[in-house]
Amino acid sequence: MRPSTFQSIKLVLRKEITTGLRFRAAWAAMLMFSFTSLVCISFALAGTAAEPKLLAALLWVLLFFSSLAGSDRVFSDEEADGTLMALRVYAPSQAVLFGKLLYEFFVLTVITVFLLPLFIVLLGAETKEMLLLLCTVGAGLWGISAAGTLLSALIVGAGVRSGLFSVLMLPVILPVFIPAIRLTEAAFGGTVVSLNFLGGILLYDMILSVGASILFDYIWYAE
Amino acid sequence: MLGLCIAVLTVVVLGAVCFAVPPAEGLGELVRIAFLHIPAAWVSVIAFFMSAWWAASYLRKGEIRDDARSFSSARLGFIFTLLAAVSGAVFSKLTWGAYWNWDPRQTTILVLLLIYGAYLTLRSAMEEHARRARVSAVYSLFSFLTVPFLVFIVPRLYFSLHPTPVLNGSGSVDMEPVMLLTLFAAVADATLIYVWLLLKSSRKEEKI
Repeated sequence: MRPSTFQSIKLVLRKEITTGLRFRAAWAAMLMFSFTSLVCISFALAGTAAEPKLLAALLWVLLFFSSLAGSDRVFSDEEADGTLMALRVYAPSQAVLFGKLLYEFFVLTVITVFLLPLFIVLLGAETKEMLLLLCTVGAGLWGISAAGTLLSALIVGAGVRSGLFSVLMLPVILPVFIPAIRLTEAAFGGTVVSLNFLGGILLYDMILSVGASILFDYIWYAE
Repeated sequence: MLGLCIAVLTVVVLGAVCFAVPPAEGLGELVRIAFLHIPAAWVSVIAFFMSAWWAASYLRKGEIRDDARSFSSARLGFIFTLLAAVSGAVFSKLTWGAYWNWDPRQTTILVLLLIYGAYLTLRSAMEEHARRARVSAVYSLFSFLTVPFLVFIVPRLYFSLHPTPVLNGSGSVDMEPVMLLTLFAAVADATLIYVWLLLKSSRKEEKI
């Protein structure tokens, strides 16, 4: 009996977590990359009190580049290991997409849980609206995961991969980025901002997820 | 024949811009930049829509002609977007004192430039023809999802110094007839140049 799509998504997610946890070096590299970037910023500011607007922008730049450290490998690792064909045969395309998307969201959440407290401590960011900050980060990470998973599938087979992922990612993720910076600024005690921006991010997240779902089949069944 | 018509129209438009259009109130002679800037911005948006349209058509039918048109449209769109961005920046410096102000329209044109740049980079990174066509089409459509953001969100996020569009908010045209006629001619000319270059370029791409 074939499993339902929901069960298949769970199976793909479990497989991703199992293989992901096996490569501890990749996790260490991702976490150290985000930590090193944060320390760089902290050194550069050297204790200078930064405005909420600057802090918000720095946080999202950090999250963006930290996400790049892992997202581009979502499908290329499968290609390198020669497991892409097996996945294509045994799992429905939508299960692969959403299983990997959820895993990507999980990875980014782990990075953020590691990074955010350090960011608040090292840069002296006073959080006035913690719930708003968490909701904004959650919504932002979902958008990055949705876009990142599809774009990672696109760059499989690309001759040049270094830098390509970030070039493709930035224009697509800007609609998440810009309102998220405004909301984060408000959470750090900056200007008051309409919650419609959060609704806007969530709406765009949904558009990205549906768009990725529709377009993924064209990539997955191409060969 | 189309090339000859475009050449004649271009000469007429250039003549009108240099000699017939009067200096505008508040902008003076700088208004002449608008006759390059507005048509270039118009074509950059049209090229973006057409590129996405042919990308969707390629994914539906798998005809290489649609991929060639989508690519050619994106390549021309990139050039016209660059023209719009540079002419806009010069206009901005001369009127507002800075090349870049994060005006909503400047932001939109920058995002468009990034999308075109990313699309062309992706294409150049793919060696195998069929995969390159498919992947580019998917990216073209995926990046098209930013349109609601560019149209509805960006104008609410940034303060604008940009002059009001030709057709303003109250639905009236706030421009002298000679200027309006010249502008329409310039837009038509730029659109024809785009179509002409697109036909030539896509035919060449189909053969490769």
